[in-house]
Amino acid sequence: MPSALALRPAEDRIAAAPDRPDWTDAAVRAATEAIADGPLSAAAAEIDRGAYPLDILGRLGSAGALGVHLDRHGARIGLSIAAMQAASRACGATGFLMWCHDVCGLYLEQSDNPALSGAVLDAHAAGRTFGGTALSNPMKAFAGIEPILLRACRVPGGYRVSGMLPWVSHIGPGQYCGAIAGVVGAGDTISHEIMFLLACDQAELRPCPHFSGMEGTSTWGVRVDDLFVGHDAIIADPARPFISRIRGAFILLQCGMGLGVTEGSLDAMLAVEESLGHVNQFLEDRPDTVAAELAELRARVMRLAETPYDGSTDYLIDVLDARAQTSELALRASQSALLHQGARGYLMSAAPQRRIREAHFVAIVTPAIKHLRWEMARLSRETLPQSEGGRA
Amino acid sequence: MNALAPTDGLGPWRQFLCRACGLIYDEGQGDPDSGLPPGTRFADIPEDWACPICGVTKADFEPYERRAKSAPMPVSPAPQRRPGVVIVGGGVSGWSVAEAIRAGDASLPITLVTACDGGRYHKPELSVALGRGLSPEALRRETGAAAAARLGLRLLADTVAVGLSPERHALRTTRGTLPYTHLVLAHGARPALPAGLDPALCWRVNDLAAWSGLHSELARGARTVAVIGAGMVGCELAEDLARAGHTATLVGAEALPLPELLPEQAGRRLLAGLEGLGIRYRGNSLVSGLSRQPDGTVALTLADGTRFAAATVIAATGLATPSRLVRSAGLAFDRGIVVDPATLRTSGPDIFALGDCISLGGQPCRFIEPVARQAATIAGAILGRDHLGYAHAVPVVRLKTRSSPIALHGTPVAGAPWHVVEDSAQRLAMEQRQNGQVTAWLAA
Repeated sequence: MPSALALRPAEDRIAAAPDRPDWTDAAVRAATEAIADGPLSAAAAEIDRGAYPLDILGRLGSAGALGVHLDRHGARIGLSIAAMQAASRACGATGFLMWCHDVCGLYLEQSDNPALSGAVLDAHAAGRTFGGTALSNPMKAFAGIEPILLRACRVPGGYRVSGMLPWVSHIGPGQYCGAIAGVVGAGDTISHEIMFLLACDQAELRPCPHFSGMEGTSTWGVRVDDLFVGHDAIIADPARPFISRIRGAFILLQCGMGLGVTEGSLDAMLAVEESLGHVNQFLEDRPDTVAAELAELRARVMRLAETPYDGSTDYLIDVLDARAQTSELALRASQSALLHQGARGYLMSAAPQRRIREAHFVAIVTPAIKHLRWEMARLSRETLPQSEGGRA
Repeated sequence: MNALAPTDGLGPWRQFLCRACGLIYDEGQGDPDSGLPPGTRFADIPEDWACPICGVTKADFEPYERRAKSAPMPVSPAPQRRPGVVIVGGGVSGWSVAEAIRAGDASLPITLVTACDGGRYHKPELSVALGRGLSPEALRRETGAAAAARLGLRLLADTVAVGLSPERHALRTTRGTLPYTHLVLAHGARPALPAGLDPALCWRVNDLAAWSGLHSELARGARTVAVIGAGMVGCELAEDLARAGHTATLVGAEALPLPELLPEQAGRRLLAGLEGLGIRYRGNSLVSGLSRQPDGTVALTLADGTRFAAATVIAATGLATPSRLVRSAGLAFDRGIVVDPATLRTSGPDIFALGDCISLGGQPCRFIEPVARQAATIAGAILGRDHLGYAHAVPVVRLKTRSSPIALHGTPVAGAPWHVVEDSAQRLAMEQRQNGQVTAWLAA
């Protein structure tokens, strides 16, 4: 289902959010930047160590930063990415939480399930309730990288789902996430997949081992055992056509994280330019180089954000390419930021060492650089007959 | 093919390489299709003999010494410190540029990025290889690794170029981002498949990998094969299939094959030649859909509703240059990558293009003959050597249908009248004139 809203020129969009006239582009941008520069910057180190910033996310939500990508609020994907970039410039973990929240909203809206796209979505879009996404495994499964972990059996009135997902972020008691399970049919084979909204209170949340950073993302192992999933919780059945429809937006939205981490790294380089510029001039990836690439990449991402539901293979490859480049640029920029700051950037309290770990996260979170390249290679191959197929 | 041993006292059989297309003439094997029996010395070939693949004359051949099959020379697999030249495409165009640069500079870093394995083969042979009983191994002249070692370049095989930032001189690939001083786009064109044709049910023969898949399907015995599209490649493949013992049906959109290129008289000769080999021609037919039948064959549904089945289906429905990479980088594109006709520079800084992927004045030119001259022009510019520049000339079009070979010279204009010069049982000669000048002529 191509989204007509997503193809509308930018000037028409403000009118497309009649129920939230206060969420204009300028207001969302200004409020997000104020939160990022104020409380979020102050809390960034604490979030990196484990504080889950639901209060800040609530403020971002009421400012519109978690809802403007939805069709009902003008399908302003570019504005969503800009908001995520502004937050990630201060704190990469919060940028990631915004993405988790954004795509969960996308699932609810695009589900066309009245039980999900009404009041449930309204509360979610405004940041009054919180939920994330458990699609890392199924996305890799759909690309042929690994097997699907949740299994569903059809029962009267719905499905029963069992299995374990190793780490899911932005969840917790009273929260929820979008999840996908393979439906086991005859002969123990998977006939198709279903996508559903998983309420965390019906699942077992298992603590994860410590990560090297971004510990405040409320990331848990999720185990479900014979969980009943009724029609009210179904986002898509079958899931694959749904996923292929939203995949461009899903991946493109992530670019906000990498752009923000890069911009934050640039800030750190510029902060020492006056005092250390005479020696920093000998480094690679100087601020002007990084800024130029960031500007070019951001402009490309914003162009792609104009048509997030373009279903063509060429468009998807363009999105994957931009997403891969945000990872590469964030890695280079954060590395350079630490080299620019030297020992002061290596202090545990300094932003640059945190930026490096955030950039590594941007590069390994699904789709990781290697997954993106795998998928671009797969999409670029020509389909040919199987030579075993016919008979002489 | 086993060649007889030489008895003329002139030493072992020698081989000669077509400089234009890479065909190797082997004295021991001769060229029976052109009337040269095995054992014909190169010196004894008549001067009007033409390369059976690309049609250049004997003077364009040079002695060929087979390279010893040795272990690849050690070449540093590490990323090069200096960016150097990046070439996209491992077909004849890409490798020709690499050869031309190496001929002038032994040390300039070259990286060749290709979505295939980089193995070197002679693409025009693909449309005559079945009838000659050639295998994929026989068609592959040199592995990509061996060619890379010989030329001292870094080969990134099975690697797709996905993004390009012209201002930063950076090419993004599925194996990382490559900085470059000069970029050469030689990625060719891809088969353009009409919407109704399921790509999983019909073969397209545009590279050795695809041909190899088709070859293994056909290798299991004589089959019924439908060829969709009666252009040059479709006609050549249909004949090749018939010569290899398969039952071929050629499906064309018009009453006669090759309608956009040939006048009616020539089309009739071509058709008669093909039918003489047992090929069935279904003219005035458009295929609207393909479907797998329970017996494993593929049913072709025509626009008028009729259906027929074939064990194997090949689509020869033309080529199109992929545009995503260059368009997203902001380079000019008009049915191909737009290049300056004299310098082969694209609209992007330090980016050149050649071969099947370019367009000159809005026209793609997908022939092998100009490639070597295009490669030399680009190498000259990259190395800063004086070079006369590229002068495009429409190549002679030779249809590799031995049943009724056709050569087309000049610049034929579709729809313009053709005048018969000779029409005998042995030969048809026709020409197009404009303002009293002959602008195109053909011999069939």
